[in-house]
Amino acid sequence: MEKEKVEAKVKKTIAKVLEKTESEISSDSNFIFDLGADSMQSLQLIAGFEEEFDIEMDEDEALEIQSVKDAVEFIAGIVNK
Amino acid sequence: MQKEKIKTFNEINDIFYPKSIAVVGTNNVTGSVPYDIFENILHDRFQGILYPVSPSEKNVTSVKSYKYVLDIEDDVDMAILVFPSSVAHLAMEQIGQKGIKSMIVISAGFKEVGGKGIEREKKIKEIADKYGISFIGPNCLGVINTDSKCHMNASFARAMPEEGNIAFISQSGALCTAVLDYANAKHIGFSKFVSFGNKADIDEIDLLNYLKDDPKTKVILMYLEEVTNGKALMEAAKKVTAETGKPILAIKSGRTAEGASAAASHTGSLAGSDEITNAAFEQAGIIRCENLEEMFDYAKAFAYQPLPKSKNMAIITNAGGPGVLATDKAINSGLSLGKFEEATTRILKKSLPAAANIKNPVDVIGDARADRYNVAISATIKDKNIDGVNVILTPQSMTEIEAIAEDIVKVVNRSDKPVYTSFMGETDVAKGIDILQRNNIPHYILPEDMVKAMSATTKFNERLKERSESKIKQFSDVNKEKATKILDKAIAENKTYLPEEEAVKVLKAYNFPVLPNGLANSKDEAGKIADEIKYPVVMKIISSDIVHKFDIGGVILNIQNREEAEKAYKQILKNVKKAMPKADIKGVFVQKMVEEGQEVILGLKKDNSFGSVIMFGLGGIFVEIFKDVNFKVAPISEDEVDNMIQSIRSYPILTGTRGSIKRDIKSLKETIQRLSQLAIDCPQINELDINPLIVRNEGNGCFVADTKIML
Repeated sequence: MEKEKVEAKVKKTIAKVLEKTESEISSDSNFIFDLGADSMQSLQLIAGFEEEFDIEMDEDEALEIQSVKDAVEFIAGIVNK
Repeated sequence: MQKEKIKTFNEINDIFYPKSIAVVGTNNVTGSVPYDIFENILHDRFQGILYPVSPSEKNVTSVKSYKYVLDIEDDVDMAILVFPSSVAHLAMEQIGQKGIKSMIVISAGFKEVGGKGIEREKKIKEIADKYGISFIGPNCLGVINTDSKCHMNASFARAMPEEGNIAFISQSGALCTAVLDYANAKHIGFSKFVSFGNKADIDEIDLLNYLKDDPKTKVILMYLEEVTNGKALMEAAKKVTAETGKPILAIKSGRTAEGASAAASHTGSLAGSDEITNAAFEQAGIIRCENLEEMFDYAKAFAYQPLPKSKNMAIITNAGGPGVLATDKAINSGLSLGKFEEATTRILKKSLPAAANIKNPVDVIGDARADRYNVAISATIKDKNIDGVNVILTPQSMTEIEAIAEDIVKVVNRSDKPVYTSFMGETDVAKGIDILQRNNIPHYILPEDMVKAMSATTKFNERLKERSESKIKQFSDVNKEKATKILDKAIAENKTYLPEEEAVKVLKAYNFPVLPNGLANSKDEAGKIADEIKYPVVMKIISSDIVHKFDIGGVILNIQNREEAEKAYKQILKNVKKAMPKADIKGVFVQKMVEEGQEVILGLKKDNSFGSVIMFGLGGIFVEIFKDVNFKVAPISEDEVDNMIQSIRSYPILTGTRGSIKRDIKSLKETIQRLSQLAIDCPQINELDINPLIVRNEGNGCFVADTKIML
């Protein structure tokens, strides 16, 4: 899957979980610092990504993901394996 | 570890007195730390402007919120960071860009969790240094300033304390909340209240330095879990007391003697971290308290009342038993019951019933009402021979508890002498205690605690008066270069222990009184050396592999002639070869033996925080069983050496008390001072024992009989 497509789906998931508009989310956005995610929402984001991309993410590794950019890289790595 | 730079008064003051605060990372989740901090500042009537910064909220409570600190249109004096540690660096970067120079980092998840937390703490410190930000924390409860000019509760404690003149600084945040609760119940107020957490930037030394000059603070309380800059802490504390006379009361947790078991020397095994902390605090004038109760017992006395001018005090009681308990404790704590002037005795005799005791301790008897207490307190407090009054009350059916409390308040307001109280009991005396506490009269449930507090304030004042610039003796007849060369060579050869022959050379370079000696490599040579230095002699194995010579038969004492000397040489080698066949033997050390004198032990141990610590005690069973030793952090001043020698329990043995012989204390003192100088000049020495040092009769000097140096 192309990275642009991954990014679009990642943003869509974030917007849904954090109740944001997609225009508020940029590639550099940090889930906590820029988008205000709390610890529960961070877990919901992982679940949302897994569902959206039909993948399984290692929880410890996934919790290290802090930004949209990180998430795209991580998920692209899994789906393009 | 040395502290690089102490923060200036203004750098710390900006944290206590900001005109505007941004709470960065707050939210609307009631009961969460980010919310409670904001709410506390707002509702405890902070006298400046408050800005919430939250990426997810349009407003926090009813206050307009900003997504980033950079979005705030106005200048901001201080930021309080409550974001999770994983993004603290991002927030800090923006705080720096905003030009904010003061911060409190509340967030946890830094050094205290290890691993990535250590990196995160390093990162925020680097950003702070880049932008010139001073900050308290991370991992802390926050900061409270009760001064009405600011009135800032920048903490997540439940309640703001009353205004007072006691400052409390603590490494533990959880303890802070317990202290606030305790103090609130007893109407104890604070000037500043600081939880400094991991102290990544501002530490207890910076805070002591600030509180020294803080006009709102009269007494400083400190709770420490680790002392990383012991030397700097001592210097800061000494300055506080010397320049302002403000007492510092401290609790230092972690009283176990970790590490002592691994020590190779006597000094190492006796000088646990707790003993060193005790010595350092004592030298720095810090009053070390056992627990919070004792700390606040003393704090009340220091904060609310003048210091007693002398140890002469009076006890007034309506109950014989508690009066005796208080008297016993007073005498055992170094106080005296002053002898009343004739005028006082006359008044007491005239005003009290015949059955009353009009001598000190005054017993106004169980049926005393307010009038008797009033007469007794008023008369004794005016007495020139009395510098402090302790009032005990037990509640009888006729005791006018509240009236007596109110009378005490009136007397105290007219006097410049301290009055402490002990209204014994709980329910019946509660209203009286409340009157006393609300009027800043120190109150204690137990009379023993009351006089113990008076003893603490008295001793502190005596020390303040006695404290003069005691000099540190510097000997010019020492050869630092020679000692350093020997020590450096041994370190270069990866030696951890200096054989006695080499250790003696180090001591000789510092002009210690070393006994005549020589190193023998044959029985003939041993006999020849022994003949030269005259009998009796002692002979010891010399090997860098053998630390405990006695244990393997490596030492023979009291050798009286050549034949015995040659025999001893062979015997020592035989014993050592049997016990440690692979030991590298350098020879046998032949040394003059001193028969007359008192054995004492001197030692040195290097502590990572406080530097080199000197130990002194009487030898033999006094050190082995009673551990009757004293410690001081080097360098030791003239007064401190005297105190060190005189305050061991067995000191009278050196002074010729009850048939013992008076020993050469002057020479002993000089030897300790030389050891202090060696400790400062040669930090390569990790541990050193002089055991024993033989202190001969007065005028005959003292001699090093055995020494051990660990590197």
